[in-house]
Amino acid sequence: MNPQFKPKLHSGSTTGCDTSLLERQQARTKWQQNHAFFNGDDDDHHHHLQNMFNSMPLTQQQFSGLIDDHPRLDEVKPDPGMQERWPDFGGGVYGDQLGYGYMNQNTLVNQTFLQGNSGSVSVSVSPKKRKTDEGQSLQLVSEKEKRIKGCAEEGDSKITHQYSNCDNKSSNNSKEASTNTSSKEKSKVSEVQKPDYIHVRARRGQATDSHSLAERVRREKISERMKYLQDLVPGCNKITGKAGMLDEIINYVQSLQKQVEFLSMKLATVNPELDFNIDNVFMKEMFQSSTSEFPALGCSPETANSAYFQLSSLEQAVSCCGLDMGMNSTEMALRRSISVPTSVPGTFMDSSCFNQIQPTATWDADLQNLYKMEFEQGTLIPFQSHQFTGLNEGSNLKMEM
Amino acid sequence: MSPSQQPSSHNPTCLIKNRFAHRFVRALNNLNIKNRSPHDENQIYRRSHRVKIAAYAAMASVVGSKRAWSRAVLWKVRNRSRNQGLLVSSRRKRVDCKSKTSNDHHAKVSVVRRRNPNPKREDLDPFRYSGQELKLRKLVPGAATMDSCCLMDETADYIKCLAAQVEVMKTLVDFYTTT
Repeated sequence: MNPQFKPKLHSGSTTGCDTSLLERQQARTKWQQNHAFFNGDDDDHHHHLQNMFNSMPLTQQQFSGLIDDHPRLDEVKPDPGMQERWPDFGGGVYGDQLGYGYMNQNTLVNQTFLQGNSGSVSVSVSPKKRKTDEGQSLQLVSEKEKRIKGCAEEGDSKITHQYSNCDNKSSNNSKEASTNTSSKEKSKVSEVQKPDYIHVRARRGQATDSHSLAERVRREKISERMKYLQDLVPGCNKITGKAGMLDEIINYVQSLQKQVEFLSMKLATVNPELDFNIDNVFMKEMFQSSTSEFPALGCSPETANSAYFQLSSLEQAVSCCGLDMGMNSTEMALRRSISVPTSVPGTFMDSSCFNQIQPTATWDADLQNLYKMEFEQGTLIPFQSHQFTGLNEGSNLKMEM
Repeated sequence: MSPSQQPSSHNPTCLIKNRFAHRFVRALNNLNIKNRSPHDENQIYRRSHRVKIAAYAAMASVVGSKRAWSRAVLWKVRNRSRNQGLLVSSRRKRVDCKSKTSNDHHAKVSVVRRRNPNPKREDLDPFRYSGQELKLRKLVPGAATMDSCCLMDETADYIKCLAAQVEVMKTLVDFYTTT
């Protein structure tokens, strides 16, 4: 259904219009047949038909009447007068929105089979429904069409059911024939329905459809993300409405930023008195608290470290060398390669110094490996740049102090 | 490192937290090495400012260049460092630089507003160019030139990262203060 639908939707060309005109013409005649057959030439027959499907007891006479009428209606069918008269069926719906009227009539036919009297109600309702549904996704449309089709099929089955159930005076043969013809007509209706409906959508939606669709998609995206944000921001679940939610989000972001500021202030005041050992403790604590995740993650911080060292050796070793040089190089390398993320501050500075001053083969190889790994992960370039900036930042901080 | 997050060992936020902690601690170390005891109030203020920037830079570098906000932060930090490298460390000039950047920010916002091709849209969609959204754009780094869809996305990520950052910093402060 969709492949048929899509090209039609996007066909803004004149050829599409021509073909669609032809189709419409055919469909019109077909519909006329159907209409003439099912609903009758006049309201009486329509009424009869409806009643037939509504009320079982009455079926006999009307059914026979229908069969009697049938040949006559067939004769009437090619009448040009009918064709002239035909636009009147749809009333004002026809004209520009011809397809709509047509659809409605079809649905009317279907629904009269199913629901009888409610079919007339559906005529008045369905144009609005179509209009509101117009811009909706293709799935919905196809679903709708399926539903309509199912409707028709249901109608068919119902017809046959009713026909077979009722014990009327007319012969079995004629009954069979009538059911066959009716089902045929029914299938024709459902066949005709599809392309015309699609065509309608194509014709109507062209100017606004892409816009409205895009807009809808955009709005859906935004609302989806708003939902996601709602989950993130605490206390945002109770608030309905985008404005309130945005307010809450803004407040939350602001509070977080303020918290960062406050914490950095605290760190700035607290830091000097306490020496480097503390972050060693912190790392240990982190290691203990998240032992489960470090073996898995151990690689990436390690690579980060190594890359950092490499860069730092290029960048700022001059500033930081000459602190304490008493560290054993092999021990350092071991520690790093085991990937225990303990960053003892002294050793950390020392390692970079060491790397700068006397690069041993093993350490370098280690670094290279890790670096390559980072490269394989495909995040080398941004990573490098960030390291760089971070370092720049750090060095600048140092410079300023 | 709240206990609730321990079971989810492969949680991306945990990974982010760890990396951020690494970098931030390193940056703090750098700061500490250079300047051990700022007893002056002014110095403390500058220091806290630096710590803050270090925290943001660490977070942004952890997130990488895949996010607009982190890109913006990194760009800002780099520019700042570059400018300061050129201008040595004169406070007044830094202030100038800061005001300049903030002006740039405003200019960007106004440009975005002007670029809006359909002025009717503004009325139709009160959400899009509402004051709130502008506020949010000012809060989230690099959000001045986004469309609202991206803005929501970036805001979500930014909030996540900020929350992680705050958590790590809190634990850091706890450790520093208790021991």
